[in-house]
Amino acid sequence: MSKSPFVSPASRRLFLHHAGAMGALAGAGAPLALNLLAAGSAAAQTAPDYKALVCLFLFGGNDAYNMVLPTDTASWQAYSTTRNQAPDSIALLAPGVLANGAAVAASPARLGGVLPLNVLNAQGINSGRSFALHPLMGTLQTLFNSDGRLAIVPNIGPLIRPTTKAQYGQASYPKPASLFSHNDQQNTWQALAAEGATRGWGGRMGDALAAMNTRTVFTSVSAAGNAVWLSGQTIQQYQVGNTGAIRMAADSSGRVYGSADLATALQRIASRSRGTHVFEADIAAISQRSIDAETTLRTALKPASDAAFGTAPASGTYSPNTDPKLLYDNPLTGVKSFNALAQQLQVVARMVDAGLAGATGVKRQVFFVSLGGFDTHDFQNRSHADLYARLAQALRYFDTSLGALAARGNVTTFTASDFGRTFTSNGDGTDHGWGSHHLVMGGAVKGGDLYGRFPSVGLKNANNNNFDSSADQLGNGALLPELSVDQLGATLGRWFGVSDTSLGAIFPNLANFDASKRNLGFMTG
Amino acid sequence: MSVIQAISALLVREHSVPEHSHALSRRPARRLPALCLFAATLLAACGGGSSSGGAESTPLTAGIAQALGLQSTAREAVASDRPASRYEAGRFLTQASFGPNDYDTELLLKLGYSAWITRQQTLPATSHRAYWEASDAAFRLLTPPGAAGQDQVWESFWKQAASGEDQLRQRTVFALSQIFVISALDGNVGEQPRAMAAWLDMLGSKGFTTYRELLEAVALHPLMGLYLTHLKNQKADPITGRIPDQNFAREVMQLFSIGVVKLNPDGTPVLVNGKPVETYGPDDVAGLSRVFTGFSWACPAAPSNNCFNNGSTGGTNNLSDPDRYFKPMVGYPQYHSTEAKSFLGVTIAAQTTADPLASLRVALDTLANHANVGPFIGRQLIQRLVTSNPSPTYVQDVAAVFANNGAGVRGDLQAVVKAVLTHPQARLLGNTQGKVREPVLRLSAYLRGFPHTSVTGGWKVGNTDSNSTALGQTPLRAGSVFNFYRPGYVPPGGQSAAAGLVVPEMQLVNETSVAGWVNYMRDNLSNGIGQRAAAVNGVTQPRDLQRNWAFELALAARPAELVSAITDRLTYGQHTDAQRTEIVNAVTKIVIPVLNSGGTNQAAIDAAKLNRVYSTVLLTLASPEFLNQK
Repeated sequence: MSKSPFVSPASRRLFLHHAGAMGALAGAGAPLALNLLAAGSAAAQTAPDYKALVCLFLFGGNDAYNMVLPTDTASWQAYSTTRNQAPDSIALLAPGVLANGAAVAASPARLGGVLPLNVLNAQGINSGRSFALHPLMGTLQTLFNSDGRLAIVPNIGPLIRPTTKAQYGQASYPKPASLFSHNDQQNTWQALAAEGATRGWGGRMGDALAAMNTRTVFTSVSAAGNAVWLSGQTIQQYQVGNTGAIRMAADSSGRVYGSADLATALQRIASRSRGTHVFEADIAAISQRSIDAETTLRTALKPASDAAFGTAPASGTYSPNTDPKLLYDNPLTGVKSFNALAQQLQVVARMVDAGLAGATGVKRQVFFVSLGGFDTHDFQNRSHADLYARLAQALRYFDTSLGALAARGNVTTFTASDFGRTFTSNGDGTDHGWGSHHLVMGGAVKGGDLYGRFPSVGLKNANNNNFDSSADQLGNGALLPELSVDQLGATLGRWFGVSDTSLGAIFPNLANFDASKRNLGFMTG
Repeated sequence: MSVIQAISALLVREHSVPEHSHALSRRPARRLPALCLFAATLLAACGGGSSSGGAESTPLTAGIAQALGLQSTAREAVASDRPASRYEAGRFLTQASFGPNDYDTELLLKLGYSAWITRQQTLPATSHRAYWEASDAAFRLLTPPGAAGQDQVWESFWKQAASGEDQLRQRTVFALSQIFVISALDGNVGEQPRAMAAWLDMLGSKGFTTYRELLEAVALHPLMGLYLTHLKNQKADPITGRIPDQNFAREVMQLFSIGVVKLNPDGTPVLVNGKPVETYGPDDVAGLSRVFTGFSWACPAAPSNNCFNNGSTGGTNNLSDPDRYFKPMVGYPQYHSTEAKSFLGVTIAAQTTADPLASLRVALDTLANHANVGPFIGRQLIQRLVTSNPSPTYVQDVAAVFANNGAGVRGDLQAVVKAVLTHPQARLLGNTQGKVREPVLRLSAYLRGFPHTSVTGGWKVGNTDSNSTALGQTPLRAGSVFNFYRPGYVPPGGQSAAAGLVVPEMQLVNETSVAGWVNYMRDNLSNGIGQRAAAVNGVTQPRDLQRNWAFELALAARPAELVSAITDRLTYGQHTDAQRTEIVNAVTKIVIPVLNSGGTNQAAIDAAKLNRVYSTVLLTLASPEFLNQK
């Protein structure tokens, strides 16, 4: 145990969470595990100073109404009534309802009841209510209830300042631009402004802490395409391939068409701009980063088949598509299928491993991974079941891999998405909304609780689809966020080591929120 | 004569140095640097073509240009209708086709821009669906019988892109397919390859009529109905609170017609108190979503409920229309909202008898007549074909043609495309002009410049999704309805961002894809491109696209000439001197052995010559000078 799996637990409660999880292990191993736990806590001071933030973006606008569900009687009735619409009800079934194996694949009956959460309610703000997760999120239920490494931030979204329903109706009241629009709200989540913004808050945290990294190219890493969240003032994202860095042109002996000279010339031509055209300069800079980074990563990254992240094949070459660790139970086919999100997290885990080992010259890293397909205007039952099965498997896989690296306390993963969706159904799906619930996972997360007031959900008006019954719901029941992306980011940023001054600069609207709520409190330390 | 005209005249004269063919035995004379010293500060017109002379020229941003009053002058300048050189013809053909080849270069030089465009616009369309169906028929004769799939859609795409004569039509189709987006990544679309081929045909036919006709064909195409989920969309149930699906209603406004903010005729946002004005809000989306209810399959028993829900008649015969995946959707009054429908300042009165097509007509007329459409669609067509950052005057001129083609017709798309391609500013060169080549157009330019033959006749390029081993882009497989990249994408942190420029295609450029592109082409050069036909008697077949490099091999012993033949061809003169020198030096280092007395080293000689050819091509394709379409 040269690396501690746990940063020192900040509270007895969290310690008991861990101890409880360990205690649940059967047999003679448990006392040893507890000893290790204690040793790990004591050893925390010698743990490497390494932290990573992982943004898991759910592209398309996740319908969190079907991810985290309030199950107290009034809420449940409003939910069931509103979402049970022909031709294809998207109302999930109550806790305890047994799955009906004969029902249509991915239908609520086939999935069975939602999975209860044991919410600590430490802040006392959700008293009298009860909550559950989507039926296919069993691994996340365990992470929340037993492992204490998963927290939920309810009803969050982009906001300029705290906003009431009455204020939302005022044209002059400041609101984020282009609400309900995919690309603009993706940008707003990532960069606090609509499309065209070039600096995201992940990258800006990287700017603030770049002095801690000797190889700044690895400060900000995407495993899922270009993402503005990763771009700062000086920090630019590095895109790593899902299988690791891709070497440009040269073969393993450093040659192109048998010539080492040619390989050298090729890399020089690709990575330099000889003219004065600005696009060419930008392309050349990316090629230069590609070549430089690959040179480091080819030795810094352990192979994907390493037991910490993958499964070595009995013979032949490693194939991620058949690695059992990267497969999920496909609810539509009933068979194991490859989970591309897990593979993205696999390369992140490999990067974390290299970071912890000092092989990439970084102490702070931000990562971006994504899962697309959440724009569930129709066929929501099928789409959502498949997506949540992937999400749940991938997060559990990542947690397990980080456990194998003794790095859970070093890495915090959070979900983000374009927006939440309407409470009402369009017959077999939902439309664009605003506020949504999100997940935060990690060893430094005070798991097992909701960090924010869960919104009230009611019934629509008799005459129209406004929801006068709820202070938190707009037309068609879309959620008016209570918490802002700025508050989420600032909470993560403080854990990450960003100063309050820098946080104020990165999140200019943070000052609009009550000082006691600028840290949502879900992180230890 | 204005300053610009004077410069243009000089440039034309400089570019008029005779060039005989792509296989020049010596470098074309290029005396641009001296001129650039004069012109660069005003126009930055010499860009990458003359780094030695114009290296310190200032990027011409729209702001600077406007301050100097250059844009309006350029607008008045009468561009020559004839390319002044093969290079200029190559530049134009990169904008108007899938890349210059000898045939179209000669034709363009002979006809001039306008006549070439007119000829192209009147060439008969080649049908992708016909190709797909012929393929499918052939598959069905196999034992065991097979069926055509998505691969055959791309076969048809690449066949036309690489070897088809109707280049402008197909290039326009590709551009339109990135504005009106459906994607086979959505299984509901991907499972209908025949209809995907029909979608390309629809863009090729309706894309040459009016915008209004195209918009209707898009709105009623079942693949769009599946992709943006308005197929089988039902009217609201006011009792239960079920609402119509809003997906298409929102995206048809945001992406296919007017965009999210009000635009001036020149494409700049209308500002009120310094802020943009949103074109629509949630109420407009809700109102318009009522229009797109009650549309579903073409079906023998339409408008029966069974046809609406299942696309078939039900009953013992259970008939369905075999073409229902591409025949326009039809109205089903019983599922269409009769409520009043208000959007964009228009109200369709409540209907006593539901009339889906009447509602649709008003909605599409309203959208097509909105003042935003000309600048919104016009600017994107300019971005797809010519330059990422058109000046406001360029957009305004194109939008004016959109508003009226000169014969009183609004939205004449042939006239709009012609206006995009023949605008004087489409001829501008400069540090900020042009666009980054998207991966599909890189490969197509290579295939046009260096014609390949298809071993099977099927142009089996295949799926090119992977950005680490292929192009990272396959036609009709964008990540979402927001296309492969956004028109407003700004690559963070670089010189483009500092200059306030958008570079949409850069959204696909990253550390993985730059390496993936080079590796893909390295492999393609030595092995050919695409899928292999099934092994015959245990013998592995070659990759489908092959090229005979005999012409280039003959130049292999003379690297400077080899580079002239290859690099100049791929960059139509927009390479840099330093790039040329780099390539010549690198290629020279590949030693061609001297034939020994026994003649036993001929194989080594041949291999070295081939490596010189491959290397020249690869070094060019890997260079930023090529990756940027100037």
